[in-house]
Amino acid sequence: MATDTDTATDRRTRPRLASLADGRLFSLCLGSSLLVLASLLVQVSFGTYSMSIAEAWGAVLDPLVWTNPQVLLRFLFGEGLGNAVAGALGLSTAAVDLPTATNIVWNIRLPRVLVAVFVGMALAVSGAIFQAVTRNELASPFILGVSSGAGLTVLLTLVVFSGFALVVPFTAGSVVLSATALLPLTAALGGAVAFGIVYAIAWKGGTSPVRLVLAGVIVSTVFQSLQTALFTFASDIGVVQQALAWTTGSLTGVAWPEVRIALPGTVLAVVLALALARQLNVLLLGESTARSLGMPVERMRFALSAVAILAAASAIAVAGIVSFVGLIVPHVVRNVVGSDYTKLVVGCLFVGPALLCAADVGARLFFEVAFGQPQQLHVGIVTGLVGGPYFLYLMRRQDEMGEL
Amino acid sequence: MSRNDGEREDTPDGGEAGRDAVAPDTGTDDTQWSAPSHDESAGSAVVGEGLAIGYPSTEEPVVECERIDVPDGEITALVGPNGSGKSTLLKSLARELAPERGNVILNGRAIEERSSKELARELGHLSQEHDSPSTLTVEDLCYHGRYPYRGLFDSLSAEDDAAVERAMSLAGVEHIADSELGQLSGGQRQLAWIAMVLAQETDVLLLDEPTTFLDLHHQLRVLETLRQLNADEGVTVCVVLHDIAQAARFADYLVALRDGEPYDWGPPREVVTEELLADVFRVDAAVRYTPEPEVIPRYALGERDEPGTDGAETDDADDDGGRPGDRPDAG
Repeated sequence: MATDTDTATDRRTRPRLASLADGRLFSLCLGSSLLVLASLLVQVSFGTYSMSIAEAWGAVLDPLVWTNPQVLLRFLFGEGLGNAVAGALGLSTAAVDLPTATNIVWNIRLPRVLVAVFVGMALAVSGAIFQAVTRNELASPFILGVSSGAGLTVLLTLVVFSGFALVVPFTAGSVVLSATALLPLTAALGGAVAFGIVYAIAWKGGTSPVRLVLAGVIVSTVFQSLQTALFTFASDIGVVQQALAWTTGSLTGVAWPEVRIALPGTVLAVVLALALARQLNVLLLGESTARSLGMPVERMRFALSAVAILAAASAIAVAGIVSFVGLIVPHVVRNVVGSDYTKLVVGCLFVGPALLCAADVGARLFFEVAFGQPQQLHVGIVTGLVGGPYFLYLMRRQDEMGEL
Repeated sequence: MSRNDGEREDTPDGGEAGRDAVAPDTGTDDTQWSAPSHDESAGSAVVGEGLAIGYPSTEEPVVECERIDVPDGEITALVGPNGSGKSTLLKSLARELAPERGNVILNGRAIEERSSKELARELGHLSQEHDSPSTLTVEDLCYHGRYPYRGLFDSLSAEDDAAVERAMSLAGVEHIADSELGQLSGGQRQLAWIAMVLAQETDVLLLDEPTTFLDLHHQLRVLETLRQLNADEGVTVCVVLHDIAQAARFADYLVALRDGEPYDWGPPREVVTEELLADVFRVDAAVRYTPEPEVIPRYALGERDEPGTDGAETDDADDDGGRPGDRPDAG
């Protein structure tokens, strides 16, 4: 018996360790990382403030930034909290004067790429989870009403409650949270409420994938109408434009505050998704098998949906409703690495950012390069334009599409 | 042979009585099988009492069953025509489908008293339809069988590895451990699924038509695996089988269902008769014991004819005579 166990373990260690060291997954991640890096290169080099590529990269690698940890901390945590953290870690909190090029790259161009990375991760992981929970390839936060619910609350915050602020007593004085800072929370709330309604509509002594998707379509239609209705109440054209940016999905003007908004939710959701990948795999075996293996299926679906909503809300709070990413990315990854969710989630963490970063390059620079005009497209328009035809291509190429 | 003759003499009475009265305590004076397993729940791994089982979409219960026993440490086959409620009954015994009324008792304790993982460690259930993600490997599928033993974030233990190894060798799928399910034949895939259920290491196994759609080779492989598991480890097996002849050869104990009610139960010799084939399956067939049970179907009977008449015709046509007990002498 002991020898049996030993050989079993030997056998096991090989594939278990190898499960992530999959050649195809590795190439996928490598390729995606290169695409993100290329996007970063383009994004920091070009823009309205002209600087040479060498200058731009000099700014990225500016020793003034990298040798003063307090500067990085201030970027990441914001002025006040950054100093507090630096102080707590025993680092200097001295002010550092950065040259203009460094300032532009570090305050405008670089954070935009970072936000694109987080949004891409969050949407892709959210879509991947929803596809397993509903066992439907067409599921995404968009289809299941989460996006429209979150979008509605985001719009409400912007249009109706923009003056609202929450004062939270804090150890050192108090922190005033403006409505904008609360966006991820309100977005998550809206997404959760919308999904709750979808779940309630679909519930009939249990839920089924098809009923969930149908209910999702109903709820998102209603919520989208409400979103459009809100435009009527917008006080000026500026708010309308801002609102439009939210509903199409845009990264225009995002900077470090948006990184701070997107980061915690995304990281938490990704960690949970990786930890729960096995549960997702068991769900793929079908509801009755999952139940006979001892999984509390409805409860697990609910918990996993919560993770997916958290991820989607983090993305929607900073970038609005970027279409197709949550749907397309899990497909691309599944085509390459198969249906194992550990690999799938890892793949999504690379391909999602790659898609969004590349799309944002197009959105930001297309008009500038093509027509010499400084207009920017919304990134959601580009993902829609790229995602639609790609999805069609996938559908044509894969006969077995429709089964997970 | 003489002992067998004597036994055969008794069988028709036992079978007849069991068929007519649903109450378990009639006419089982000296039949070895049905008496102990029916009268004491201690001898049964799974007992269903006063069951009425339906689906939300149906008004009337699909299955109504005063009592069903799955004897401990034996192989029980549920047989019956399409729509007789075999799968529905099995689902209720596995707690997959809550009965409208009645109780299911597993190993002497009401089945609802367990958490879902506890249940999955005591009872394995393989449903008729299961989705196989096509890129899942056989080995990874088997590891999912260890789900009830693992916490939410637990990694694999040495026991998990040993159990999977053992399950794969029992089901004979070691050589395809690294193959993806999408590349396997239906029979190999079914063996892989059985390996997954075996990895659960339960004392009771419920399987819903594990041999349907498989070629003969794989049908026998599946049944042999179950037999071996039953013989070596005393695992109680309850299996829905489509093929009555196969069920008669393979099972220790048969429960025949008709229109959602148990029609007869007991060892195959008592249950599998020409009369049962006519009444339950609407088939005219010859049943012989050589000594292996042999069922030779001849033609389908008309819908809902008078069963007695059909039986009489069969008797006249067949020189062996109509008494089930007489038939083995000819063989």
